[in-house]
Amino acid sequence: MSAGISNTIRELRGTRSMTQQELADRILVTRQTVNAIEGDKYSPSLEVAFRIAHVFGVPLEQVFHYEAPRNRRK
Amino acid sequence: MSRLGFHEKMLWAQFAGVLAVVGFYMHYLAHSAPGHHYLHAVLIVLLFLFASVRMFVRWRSKSVIEDERDRAVASIGTRWSNNILWLGLVIILVMYWDLGNMRSAGFLIGILFHLLLVAALARIIRELVAYRMSA
Repeated sequence: MSAGISNTIRELRGTRSMTQQELADRILVTRQTVNAIEGDKYSPSLEVAFRIAHVFGVPLEQVFHYEAPRNRRK
Repeated sequence: MSRLGFHEKMLWAQFAGVLAVVGFYMHYLAHSAPGHHYLHAVLIVLLFLFASVRMFVRWRSKSVIEDERDRAVASIGTRWSNNILWLGLVIILVMYWDLGNMRSAGFLIGILFHLLLVAALARIIRELVAYRMSA
């Protein structure tokens, strides 16, 4: 489901000793969704992405990174 | 902590329910004589029971969240079942145009029943796969 998007949620959570459930409760999603986002298996909506960044108090680009495909045809 | 979310657990329950219905149906096909039967009435009661249980469980567990991933997975499953239902509709129309009639109401109900069963199974399986792929 995610295309070229990675994130640092696990690291950010680790530095704050926050569990997946605690983060899920604060961004109003399920723990399974947090797990899927962390594993780069699901790309969240912009709204949830901003909520995650807000919870950690960092800019969005510090949480999510996008790598464009290299061999894209013009 | 459970690995599966509420919606995924419900999907497994639905899957088990549909398999039970298929098993019951196979038994019915193998052992019943021709004529009117209670199968469809039993199925409607089963569907009603399952919907009631689901609503009750959901009401009891107030903390259940349906988030955007659940909705995304549900829309994938719905798309699959819609495609199958549309395909079935086209098949019914082609049969109607080809044969000039639908033989009998029982025949039409049989087609609709199988169509709904296949569409439900496709939706459930596709949603379970989607949950596992983005688990």
